[in-house]
Parts: sequence; C-alpha cells; structure tokens
Amino acid sequence: MTYLDSAATTLQKPAAVERAMAHALTHMASPGRGGHAPAMLAADTAFACREAAAELFHMDDPANVVFTLNATHALNLAIKSLVKPGDTVVVSGYEHNAVTRPLTALGCRILVARSPLFEPRTILAQFDRLVTGDVACVVCTYVSNVFGYILPVEDLAALCRSRGVPFILDASQGAGALPVHMDRLSCAYVGMPGHKGLYGPQGTGLLLCGEGQASATLLEGGTGSLSARQEMPDFLPDRLEAGTHNVPGIAGLLEGLRFIRRKGEATILRHEQALTALAAEKLSAIPGVTVYAASDPAFQAGVLSFTLENMDCETVGERLGKESVAVRSGLHCAPYAHESAGTLKTGTVRASFSAFNRKKDVERLAQVVGQLAEQRDK
Amino acid sequence: MVYYLIICRSLTYAQRTEAALSRAGITAHILRAPKSVDSEGCTHGVRVSERDLTAALVVLARVKLTPKRIFIFSSDGSYKEVVL
Repeated sequence: MTYLDSAATTLQKPAAVERAMAHALTHMASPGRGGHAPAMLAADTAFACREAAAELFHMDDPANVVFTLNATHALNLAIKSLVKPGDTVVVSGYEHNAVTRPLTALGCRILVARSPLFEPRTILAQFDRLVTGDVACVVCTYVSNVFGYILPVEDLAALCRSRGVPFILDASQGAGALPVHMDRLSCAYVGMPGHKGLYGPQGTGLLLCGEGQASATLLEGGTGSLSARQEMPDFLPDRLEAGTHNVPGIAGLLEGLRFIRRKGEATILRHEQALTALAAEKLSAIPGVTVYAASDPAFQAGVLSFTLENMDCETVGERLGKESVAVRSGLHCAPYAHESAGTLKTGTVRASFSAFNRKKDVERLAQVVGQLAEQRDK
Repeated sequence: MVYYLIICRSLTYAQRTEAALSRAGITAHILRAPKSVDSEGCTHGVRVSERDLTAALVVLARVKLTPKRIFIFSSDGSYKEVVL
C-alpha cells in the first residue's frame, strides 16, 4: 500500500503508539476516579500528555491543554465559547466544514477573506479590511486541508491582537510540522486532531486554551472534581472534560508527541515539503494533469491537489485505490477552499504526506497517474 | 507520622504541584483528600513532610501555584487546617 492520505489520518505511526495503547488498555483505569494504582497511572499518563503538548506548543500551563475527541470537537468548543447566535465572524476562504458548519448553525454572519491560492499578502489585506472592532472573532486554518497552502497566521494573529478581536486557529493540518507558539500567537484557542500530524490514534484531539478564557461547555457530567456541586467546575481542563477520558488514545497521543519532539517539527516539514515538490514536478509532467502547487514551496505544506483532464476526480481516486495508492478525492469537507481555488465544480484529487512517506511513494503515485492518463487517451 | 496535605483545586493542579515540588527536590505525593477535609467532593491534595512545608510554599509561590487549603495530619489520625 502506498498511503498518501495523511491529511485525513496518518496511517503509519511510531511503533511506541501501538505499544502504549495496548499497555493502557490493560493497565490503566480513569484519571481522577480513584486513588488506586491503575487510576493514578492513567492520571500520570494524561498529565504527561498535557505537559508534552504544553512544551511542544509553548504554553506555560498544562492545565490549559484540553483533551477532545478530534479537531471538530475542539473547534466547536472554541467557537461556541466566543460566538453568540447572530454574531459576525471573519474566516479565511480556505476553512473546513469543522469551522463553517458550527458558525452556520449559530446563525452567524460569516465574512470570508477570499484570495487566490498561495497569495498570503492578498489574504492578509482581505483580513485587514474585514476585521473590525464589532467582529466576535476570527477563525483561520493554519494550512488548507485541500491545497496545503500555509496561511500567514502569525501576521493574522498580530492583526487580531491590535484590533482586540479573539483569534481561533485551526491547526488541523499544521500541528506537528509547523510551529504553534501559543506564547507568541496569543490565540484565544487552537484546535487540532491527535490522529494526523501528531501521530496519535483516531478519537483524540487537543484544544489549547489561551489564558483566562471563559470556556462554554458542550457536555456536562462527571469530572472527578467538585463532585458535591451540580455546576461544572470553572477551571480547566475539568470544565471541558466531562466523562471518562480516552486513556488508550491519550497514551498513544503522548507517544506521537514524543516522536515529534525527537524528530523535530522543522525536519518533518522539510521532508513533507520535499515530497510535495517532487510530486508536483512528476505529476506536472503528465499530459492532462493540472497540479495546484505553490511557486514558492515555502507556502505549501505536505498536501498537494491535482486533477486529470476529462476524468472525474472520484474515478481517479478509485483507480488509484485499486492500484493500492490511497488518496482522497472530492471536496475534502472544504467547499470554501474549492470555491477560492475555482475547483468547486470538479473537486480535486489530494495526495498528502507524512514523516513516514518516501520518494518511492511519490514515484508510485506518478506512475499510476501516468498510466491512467495514457488509458484515458486510448 | 505527621505530614501536611496541600489541597489543590483539581487533579491537574495537584499534578502540577507535585511536579514543581519534585523538580525542586521536595518529595511529594498526590492523594485523594479525605472526605473529612473535603466539603466539595473528589478533591486531590499533595502530601509533603512536616519539614518540607516552608520550602514547598516558596517553590509554589515562585511558579504561581496557590494552594487552596493546607491541612496537617497529626499522629492521632486527625486533620487540622493550617492558617497561613
């Protein structure tokens, strides 16, 4: 199998992830739900995971690291903490439905900072025009999940700070490869999945909370703290973590975070960008293939979209799948991004890379797409 | 054996407290607070020895971890709150 769908889920994980999960299943109980050894071992693991995340993302207080089910859960918590029905919110033209659907459900007025692909100055100018004092918050993705476009989020964070507008960062595609400096960004919230660039298992995610955020709950229930009260605790992480934790998932995520720490975000990014550039070069050489690649590779992470002329993107994805090349086709839950790039009607085929991909994976992709292009022409 | 129990507002804060003290070379252990000292239910505390309390409070002040309450566990098995 040539697995090129890490923007959805990284399939290859560090070996320690599986070992940690298996150990947790048979040795760990519930953090905060007892003083016995299995409960305390679970508590130690959860705390170690919070500390590892706080270190990687430059946060002082590991209590501001909240475990979630995925990035969607994290982003819902962030959005519903800051946005009331009818509020005005500014987003980029590259957002995922994990952002735009909650905003739509809240009946928000959504202002979209649109700009062509790989033009960070243009999109910043759009944000500059739209972010005014009466905006409830700004939500922006770090990296487009369709095109790999790295958005200028540090500049955007500075703009939001200067206007006194809270900023929510969707780091679903950036975390683990691009730096997330909570201390520098001063974000209200950052949401991310555990199962993509952090190399943890599915069913894990993180919400990083800025200092002093009064977070709204999505779930209420037991927290193993202040049990005599019927209101949820007003402190993190307990306020946002009702119910039993996904301890095997957290144990696996901890090993994923340790893997990134050892390897280094910059090394992972360089590796993925090199594979992206190679894929862009090889696919561009195939007649009928349109590749959405940045002219400056610094603006693109390990995600690459392409289309094959006169062949539906779903057909391309299916044919690749039959040749054991796993990619994702369609709209990738991000119609805003396709609208911005002009691919809403056709969709695209997306190849996305991880630290575990090699050049031979790119070569195999190009080989099969080349064969498809030849077959189509006959 | 006499020891102090530093009550924390959550398990995570108890873990931060324990980690900060351990880094400073002070032996500390997380305990679930006895029901007799815990009116709010399911509270965690950090146990330190009698001789380490002053040093522990200095460390915790430095890292801005404010104890919620502090109790002394006496050899007769009772807990009494310490007013700082």
